[in-house]
Amino acid sequence: MRGEANVTELAQPFPISLPAVTKHLKVLERAGLISRSREAQWRPCKLEAGPLREVADWTAHYRQFWEGTFDRLDDYLGTLQAQLQTPPQTLPDPTGEDT
Amino acid sequence: MTRTDAPTFTVTRSFDAPRDLVYRVWTEQEHLGRWMSPAGLTPLESTLDLRPGGLFHYGMKTPDGAEMWGKWVFREVVPPERLVFVQSFSDREGGLTRHPMAAEWPMEVLSTVTFADEGGRTLLTLTGTPLNASEAERQTFEGALGGMNQGWAGTFAQLDAHLARTQEAQT
Repeated sequence: MRGEANVTELAQPFPISLPAVTKHLKVLERAGLISRSREAQWRPCKLEAGPLREVADWTAHYRQFWEGTFDRLDDYLGTLQAQLQTPPQTLPDPTGEDT
Repeated sequence: MTRTDAPTFTVTRSFDAPRDLVYRVWTEQEHLGRWMSPAGLTPLESTLDLRPGGLFHYGMKTPDGAEMWGKWVFREVVPPERLVFVQSFSDREGGLTRHPMAAEWPMEVLSTVTFADEGGRTLLTLTGTPLNASEAERQTFEGALGGMNQGWAGTFAQLDAHLARTQEAQT
């Protein structure tokens, strides 16, 4: 979202009435997730990203941890297989049995 | 009130390597200790005792020099198909600690990794669900899933819950 928007603009994508949107905005305002200017008649709304970002940070962390770890595993497996395929065999047979 | 609908995190990845090899790098110290940390972090020393009740303790260093430690306590070891372990944040000595960035993150996450043979490739699935979690910790975990697994529907459900709590606190 860029800058400020009024109720009509915010309601436009949703199939609900303007009073219903106004009600939702009041809830968002009380929760500190948006702020609304008191200067203009049309009460422009602005997104307050701080509290949402806090939620997003720890939300993203767990998945990022595993996705990032799998990225490294993918690289590691690639390197390992390249080594295993290099003749003559430089790593011992994983079963420990010589033929 | 007990909840049986435990929130479950799932991540899958297909690796271009046979299942036996993927299982080996998850279960052998010389391998596991070298890759088990997200790309961008440097693995620190680790110890592995692969058996039910045994421990994998590992550390990693962030680019700004901070150390993070974690541990797994194994519950099931089923080669080459499945590992079940309880994952926690830890300290250098192996003690149980909280998430360094989220005070209400569950202290223990029961994690299951399955290795499926896909004809030369391996499909890895990891699921995680909170263990012995308080209601607040459970909600934190569930909120994380809402945002990540179910896209916007989940995000809005999470926002709704947050708003409801905020309103309760204000009345």
